[in-house]
Amino acid sequence: MSKVMETANSLPLWIIAGLVVSIVIFQAITFIRLASRTASTVGMNKLEVKTALRTGAISSLGPSFAILIVAISLLTLIGNPVTLMRIGIIGSAPVETIGATVGAQAAGSDLGSAEFTHQAFTNAVWVMCLGGVGWLLVTALFTKSLSKAQAKIADNGQKSVTLLKVISTAALLGAFSYLGTTQVIKGMNEAMVFLAAFAVMPLILWCAARFKLNWLREWSLGLIILVGISVGYFIS
Amino acid sequence: MTLNKEVQNETLEQGLEGLRETAGVKTISFEKFHDRSHFWGRLTIWAVIVLSLALPLYLSYGLGFHPGWSAILSGFLAYAAVVGVLWFVEPISYYPILGISGTYLAFLTGNIGNMCLPAASIAQSAVGVEPGTKKGELTATLAMAAASIVNIVMLLFIVLGGSYVVTLLPQSVVDSLVFVLPAIFGGLIAQLAMQKPLWGVIGIALALAVNLGPVPTSLKAFCCIFGLVIICLLLEKLKKTKEIA
Repeated sequence: MSKVMETANSLPLWIIAGLVVSIVIFQAITFIRLASRTASTVGMNKLEVKTALRTGAISSLGPSFAILIVAISLLTLIGNPVTLMRIGIIGSAPVETIGATVGAQAAGSDLGSAEFTHQAFTNAVWVMCLGGVGWLLVTALFTKSLSKAQAKIADNGQKSVTLLKVISTAALLGAFSYLGTTQVIKGMNEAMVFLAAFAVMPLILWCAARFKLNWLREWSLGLIILVGISVGYFIS
Repeated sequence: MTLNKEVQNETLEQGLEGLRETAGVKTISFEKFHDRSHFWGRLTIWAVIVLSLALPLYLSYGLGFHPGWSAILSGFLAYAAVVGVLWFVEPISYYPILGISGTYLAFLTGNIGNMCLPAASIAQSAVGVEPGTKKGELTATLAMAAASIVNIVMLLFIVLGGSYVVTLLPQSVVDSLVFVLPAIFGGLIAQLAMQKPLWGVIGIALALAVNLGPVPTSLKAFCCIFGLVIICLLLEKLKKTKEIA
């Protein structure tokens, strides 16, 4: 077990994980640069670009923290660099835990057990990495085809603008409804937190609009998370 | 005289444009933005695919811990049985929301439902733009890119030693983190439903039906997203025919 962890935390693995992290950061910076340079051509000013960036950064604090707390459990099981690489890209901590578990079992030993061998570790890494590649491949291969299909809809002038708005808004609402109800049916506490957030969010946004507090809009998701955690803390 | 002035203004503007170009703040058109997004998006994702294969290959052959292809395959098939459908369903389902650049961003950094979409949606509300518009797409891209950076920097900090700090947190605080997700989605549904109350009611009803009904887990998100899109398109059509009549 300890020998396996030595391998799991060795330099070459750190280098590969470091490269993956660098690419994620590089990609984000590239898209920020591209989007900023495009902004003025669609009537978006510098202030709005900054608002978008700031709101994105603030809104990710809460979710990131929750993600990382779960990810910590992986550190002792698969080592630091592999955790960094797997959590840093597509694939959530619970999904990666499944991958690591079935991978290790297929090689004959349990994750984190005394008999955890180098082969079992390698197999777990294979399964997690191949699993993650599934999403990446589909995205790399098919996003262009999807955008061509979208371009066909968008070729219809004004009519298509309203059409795309309806599709995007409905899709967003559909996704959140799905993700929200999976939480609600988990239990009474989750349902209460959901309802509290559902009731308080319009208040926050109303205040922001009424008193022209743009910072409040930017912080709205952060605040709603604090409201949710507090409500959950007191009722559970 | 006035004509002369106009000409002068024009040359001045052209000059300014040239200056901006040389200063490196050249603006690009929306079509060009999509082209470059495809290029950089694909390049970065292919690079990560290569690295994702390099890691297990190094362990197998560089260090000689190869577990055998049959073990890899049996583990992979067990895993694919759980998530395999999602590889195809998720990029297609989320595309109408994420757009081109958003898809490349979100599917590389991950945490689409719990981080990228919420960040994008709230940023659109803060800037005051609608989803599905050009400005909305740029806003979402900027927000998700910023979210991606914050997420990975926090992860880096935790992995490089911050996990000790986290162990100092009281257990009750760690336990209440399960309420982050219900809070996020409750708030975001309310935010969107403020604009479209009817859509919100139908969306939640549909999602409850899908979640409690006999739908395979991997297809649930797809059913909720595309189901609501179709219903809303029909509703809009009904509204229009009513207006005409």
